[in-house]
Amino acid sequence: MTSLDRGREPTPGPIRPFDFPKVDRREIDGLDLRVARISQLPMVAVNVFVRAGEWALEENVAGLAVLTGDALEGGTRRRSGTELAESLERLGARLHVSTGWEGTSVSLSCLADRLTDGLAILAETVLSPAFPDDEVRRAREQALAGIRQAAMDPASVASHEASRRIFAAGVPYARPVEGTLESVGSLHRRHLEGLAEALYGPRAGGLVVVGDVTYDEIEAMVLDHFGSWSGGPSTRREAVVEPRSRERGIFVVDRPGSVQSELRVGHVGIEKSHPDELPAVVLNTLLGGAFTSRLNLNLRERHGFTYGVRSRFSLRGEAGPFSVSTSVATDATGPAIREILTELEGIVSGGPTAAEVEAARDYIAGVFPLRLETAGQVAGRITELLVYDLEDDYHDRYRDRVRGVSVAAVAEAAQRHIRPEEAQIVVVGDAEAVVAELEALSVGPVEIVGQD
Amino acid sequence: MTRLSVPVARHRLHNGLRVVLSEDRSVPVVCTNLWYGVGSRNEPAGKTGFAHLFEHMMFQGSAHVPKNRHFELVERAGGTLNATTWFDRTNYFQTLPSHHLELALWLESDRMGWMLPAMDQEKLDNQRNVVKNEKRQRYDNQPYGDWDERLQALVFPAAHPYHHTVIGSMEDLDAATLDDVASFFRTYYVPNNAVLTLAGDFDSGRALDLVEAYFGEIPPGAPIPPVPWETEVEPVIGETVRDRVISDVPLPRVIMGLRIPPYSQAEFTVAEVTRAVLGSGRASRLYRRLVREEKVAKDVVSYAFPLMSGASMLLVWITGYADSRVDDLESALGGELEALADVEPDEVERAVALTETDLVRALERVGDRADLLSMFDLYFDDPGRLNREVERLRSVRVDDVRRFAVSHLGGDNRAVVSYVPEGGS
Repeated sequence: MTSLDRGREPTPGPIRPFDFPKVDRREIDGLDLRVARISQLPMVAVNVFVRAGEWALEENVAGLAVLTGDALEGGTRRRSGTELAESLERLGARLHVSTGWEGTSVSLSCLADRLTDGLAILAETVLSPAFPDDEVRRAREQALAGIRQAAMDPASVASHEASRRIFAAGVPYARPVEGTLESVGSLHRRHLEGLAEALYGPRAGGLVVVGDVTYDEIEAMVLDHFGSWSGGPSTRREAVVEPRSRERGIFVVDRPGSVQSELRVGHVGIEKSHPDELPAVVLNTLLGGAFTSRLNLNLRERHGFTYGVRSRFSLRGEAGPFSVSTSVATDATGPAIREILTELEGIVSGGPTAAEVEAARDYIAGVFPLRLETAGQVAGRITELLVYDLEDDYHDRYRDRVRGVSVAAVAEAAQRHIRPEEAQIVVVGDAEAVVAELEALSVGPVEIVGQD
Repeated sequence: MTRLSVPVARHRLHNGLRVVLSEDRSVPVVCTNLWYGVGSRNEPAGKTGFAHLFEHMMFQGSAHVPKNRHFELVERAGGTLNATTWFDRTNYFQTLPSHHLELALWLESDRMGWMLPAMDQEKLDNQRNVVKNEKRQRYDNQPYGDWDERLQALVFPAAHPYHHTVIGSMEDLDAATLDDVASFFRTYYVPNNAVLTLAGDFDSGRALDLVEAYFGEIPPGAPIPPVPWETEVEPVIGETVRDRVISDVPLPRVIMGLRIPPYSQAEFTVAEVTRAVLGSGRASRLYRRLVREEKVAKDVVSYAFPLMSGASMLLVWITGYADSRVDDLESALGGELEALADVEPDEVERAVALTETDLVRALERVGDRADLLSMFDLYFDDPGRLNREVERLRSVRVDDVRRFAVSHLGGDNRAVVSYVPEGGS
């Protein structure tokens, strides 16, 4: 080979196309079934999504949807919790339940030749949970212990305090998704049974199967195991997302002796279905989403204040938070907040450069296939369509739409959706060491707040 | 039993660089994964944490790549990149759309061959601050954050390389100099101490030509010096040693470390399966007995570390409820470890089935595939071992686990770090 010119970056080879796996979608007796075949390895991933999320719940039972999901492993009308686990694990299968604001996903992952048995157990778990008393009590005690643990983890404390400061009281997003000691402590078996009875149905939910399988074999299995399934919610709860305040302020949660300050700087952002979704995603990538974003290059690579900093629009069913998150050395607390606000102000007033927008678009479009390697990842993406009620071709068009985001659209998104003057700033750290410095910043009133 | 057939081809360049190619054209994605045979075990006294700090310096540019440019180019190509430092090795990995393979090779080779001209004091000071903040964030500012430092010091004697942590100490990080960077680079970051794996979408012949072109002219280094510690240790700790910590933690927690055979020995497989019987899945011993039935623990975590130097560690921790006593947690956990001497065949069967599925699931990712191939090549000179992993796990018999429980899970092989909440019982 001829010798290389190391001073020049290599030119890329010919690009190879990538298509989102083809999804077969049909409705079977009211059940939305979506199947995609990928067959590099003999794996299969199944998600059952039911619209039983924390968004739909009143504050006094906050955490009920999460607890109900977690208690599914407690057993069915035919099998105890241990028998259920043994049946699954004999197949080498794993079952995972995750509950968020919108609903609960029950996921099965197993080798393809064990799917028939795995799917039967999955169906039994979701369709006929028994919620035995002692299993419900245990799930509740575990949840309460988890809440106590989070209350001493500085990152969780900061995120929870930020939610409470960003959203008006009464907006579900103001509270932790897993509920509080008070709300979870009040939950009993009858609450779980009631929630599952009312919301664990196929309506407004669905079933996603991805892996080394064909649609026809799946349809037969689904008819066998989910054929009788019915019910579920008919409407989605309406609630208006309002900010708690439009005045900037700094809220310090005192954690004496902390060697770092956990920081959150945020305000109400946008919902997943917002027309500015993709400009906002591009904007966030160059602002604080990528390693080479403005925030990370400033706080980490220039100043060494932190191990890392990220910003994020949490795109949910309704407008979630926009938030900058980092953890900085105690003596860098004031300077780091100053730099974060400067970056937010800079992107609003000056907008992004064309080179930044191009790089961010290329990054988002390029990493898209990298995150679709596994059956579980593809199933997760398809489940998103159910969760947020997106068009069937959302993922097929995603990269082209990202590439079509203009510099002007990103600049407008920054002006509309980044509001440093309304930011709620949360500091979890050693109050004695940081308060004077925070006062001196003169960016808003500084208040020391107690932890709930 | 799943028959694995991951393609594996090996090559070696004249400078000693080992190359593993695993071509799979199904998705237009490629991963470059580079393992250097250096980790915290190579750090002498007074230099703890240096291997990891050095890893950060590898991202600060090289002769033909200015600071931040590496990240910019890979992100812009739609790729991801990172690195990790561990006891026995340091790995660097980039996953990109496959038409950018050459970019990845250029960047990776430039820092293997031409890193030092780009080093300066400002970069070192900057990354020293970043790493100190990493230590603060992940360890010093966390409840239970010093557990591994305490546990390793009990499981491994003071002269053993695993006695100190990968993150190291603030004092040693403060003492690191540019001369240290240069000598570490010349000693360990040489082609004869590295394995480069490419996995994913490429043509093997063309890829090998590119690897030769980019890496072939990098001169080899001297033979790698031995680990500056005593790696030979007794197979078990010899007693139960304890460290009780009264601290600002939310819940009582007992963390147990057991000395087990190193990953280099066949018996490690038995330790691995024993770990899965104990702690993999919700029908596992510890979850079923301590979490579900007895309800003494809120959760259990277990792990068998694949370490190479003389011995390795099996880790189990259990977190109690607010009113639990750590003595009760320790005796409940100890009881379950000993009870494994009567393990049933069905339990071993389930543990192996879960481990098998977990392996196949990991292989779905080109990054995990490449990482395993690099590891097997560096540690065992045998990347093809990947395709025999299921057989290796399936070779463990119930009697092996019973014997292992007697030889390694008893009271003569326990290091126990207990956290008692301040003001608690």
